[in-house]
Amino acid sequence: MLNYTIRRLNLLFFTLLVLSVVSFSLAFLFPGDSLTNLSGVKSPTPIQLASLQESYKVDSNYFWQYIAYLRLLLDGDWGISFTSQQPLLDDLSTTLPATVELSTYAFTLAILIGVPCGIIAGLKHHKIFDFSILSASLLGYSVPVFWLALILIQLFSLQLSLLPLSGRISLYFDVPIQSGFIIYDIFQAENIDKTAALRDVFFHLILPTLSIAIMTGTIIIRIVRRSVLNVLEQDYIKAAYGRGQTNAQVFWKHGLRNSLLPVLPLIVTQFTTLLTNAMIVEVIFSWPGIGNWLIQAIYQRDYPAIRGGMLMVSSLVIMFTISLDILIRVIDPTKGRKIRVAV
Amino acid sequence: MALLDVKNLTLEIDTANGWINVLDKVSFSINNKEIRALVGESGSGKSLVVKAIVGALPERWRIKADRMMWQGEDLLNMRQDKRRKITREQIAVVYQNPATSLDPSATLGDQIMEAVSSKLLSRGWFWQKQQQREKIAITHLHKVGIRDHKTCMDSYPHQLSDDVCQKFMIALALVSQPKLLIADDPTMAMVPSTKIQILKLFKHLNQTRGLSILFVSHDLLSIFSMADSLTVLYCGQTVETGKMDKILKRPLHPYTQALLDSAPSFSKGLERKTDLPTLEGTIPPLQHLPIGCRLGPRCPRAQKDCVKTPEERRIHEHFYRCHFPIHRPTK
Ligand SMILES: Nc1ncnc2c1ncn2[C@@H]1O[C@H](COP(=O)(O)OP(=O)(O)OP(=O)(O)O)[C@@H](O)[C@H]1O
Ligand code: SF4
Ligand SMILES: [Mg+2]
Repeated sequence: MLNYTIRRLNLLFFTLLVLSVVSFSLAFLFPGDSLTNLSGVKSPTPIQLASLQESYKVDSNYFWQYIAYLRLLLDGDWGISFTSQQPLLDDLSTTLPATVELSTYAFTLAILIGVPCGIIAGLKHHKIFDFSILSASLLGYSVPVFWLALILIQLFSLQLSLLPLSGRISLYFDVPIQSGFIIYDIFQAENIDKTAALRDVFFHLILPTLSIAIMTGTIIIRIVRRSVLNVLEQDYIKAAYGRGQTNAQVFWKHGLRNSLLPVLPLIVTQFTTLLTNAMIVEVIFSWPGIGNWLIQAIYQRDYPAIRGGMLMVSSLVIMFTISLDILIRVIDPTKGRKIRVAV
Repeated sequence: MALLDVKNLTLEIDTANGWINVLDKVSFSINNKEIRALVGESGSGKSLVVKAIVGALPERWRIKADRMMWQGEDLLNMRQDKRRKITREQIAVVYQNPATSLDPSATLGDQIMEAVSSKLLSRGWFWQKQQQREKIAITHLHKVGIRDHKTCMDSYPHQLSDDVCQKFMIALALVSQPKLLIADDPTMAMVPSTKIQILKLFKHLNQTRGLSILFVSHDLLSIFSMADSLTVLYCGQTVETGKMDKILKRPLHPYTQALLDSAPSFSKGLERKTDLPTLEGTIPPLQHLPIGCRLGPRCPRAQKDCVKTPEERRIHEHFYRCHFPIHRPTK
């Protein structure tokens, strides 16, 4: 176990290192002056220029420049954005929570739909329910996310006028940004009707969450269904029937855990796909998240922002994946070591 | 009345080559307090017979039988929950492959406590019952020779060696206090001394508690020392079945004869280091089963009539399926 953790952390360390190298080299590959691309300061005064040259060590070779860049990254100085002229880290800390919030809800929803449906489809193998779930999931799986989002908007916002078209919360609620997580911020805010604000947030959430969750949900259905079918074929399930246990006993005591344990890592990796989808959907719903922010940065040729945004998103994904790997390893009992028993 | 009476059990399974009769009219019965041995080469279908009795086969396989009676009730034509109740309370199985027959993600303790029959518990609160369950489980682990019950019960199957798992399977089977124990190659992974212990335990339970046993094994010597009666299986057909002493004295089927000859202690007058007598050839693969008597291509006594499947014939309690039996004048 310790060994495994160390190996994973090792992997994490080197991947992060490679990511920082890539982001560093982006500054040189983008058009324009590399110092401007790194710092984000477009027309510095001579004094500023001198201090920037000093902190980015432009006079030494690439290696030392990279070390200087790394040190600045760790100090929290990621440069400033061309367009907003704000420190990148500040921008990121307001946009990132919005994305994380949206993706978390969508992922939770996807699991809440996907796991039970997958289990039922597996248990009712080749019956009507199985076929209908399978066809529905094929449909959900093949529809492009942005198209689905547009269709949902067309239907629920424009035609039926049931749900809001875009944004996170209506403008007449004045919620100061504290953590970036809107629900938390509402609770912290003063002078607003909190219930009404929460309702409003909820209605704003429905469409974007659905458009992201449907695809991941259908993938999870397929993963879980396959695994349930596979486990039901196993000897120990047949043996449990042979011991006279009822269907319910066999499923709850032996079937469920063994079906879900091996696919947990697979399900978790779906989160990264979901995050990508979330970033696309944000643009459509004008959700103030990092996807939207990055697209704006690309339109505006805001090179420091592109560099910082990519570095942030990819590091988060890597850290998330690896910590879940370790967590899953901890809770999976089938991965322990041999024990000798005296007989 | 026999405890378990199986008549013409036929099992078809679907393979890449279509449906194949892996069991073809298997018949035998087990009386109360009897130890019946089931022998046959590897691949002859012994484990399938075992699984068919307790219903541990995939649902899509086709299983048919003239009768499969448990104390006068037909197992195949009864409600599923009733059948499960019988297998839960009265029949117990030691599966051949402990590594795959145990739940990989549950501790052995959980698995054995779950199998303790609630009949054996006195009234009490949930936790009191749990304690009684644990006590019964531990007693049985000791019985099969697992002394370190604590470690064993806290472990997962993959953490223990094969022979410990196999002993555990035996404890797991005995813990429900069954009437019939079906033991599929129960001593396979064991060293000789533990093997003798387990066989002694079986014999002891048979004599003191009247436990009936269907003993499936390759090991002719332990079979001869334990069993009262014998059923010989070849390629999914029962070729001969009857009392042990009768068969030993006078086997009627050529396959049984060959089987007995292959056990050194039963072939008299062997020189040292001579080859043991064997039949030519090997057991045919499933997709190339011969028609008629499945032993045909390997049988020293085969004649033209053998392409027709021989009917079962009987002399008292001794059944055989052969057109040209040994020790009998042919018609
Ligand atoms: N799940 C399965 N799918 C396909 N064929 C199977 C399956 N289980 C068993 N068979 C086939 O059925 C035949 C009988 O198998 P079985 O396991 O009953 O043999 P056995 O007599 O128990 O052999 P052994 O002494 O090695 O345990 C074999 O030819 C085997 O290949
Ligand atoms: S029926 Fe024929 S082939 Fe089969 S065992 Fe008897 S003699 Fe041999
Ligand atoms: Mg077997």
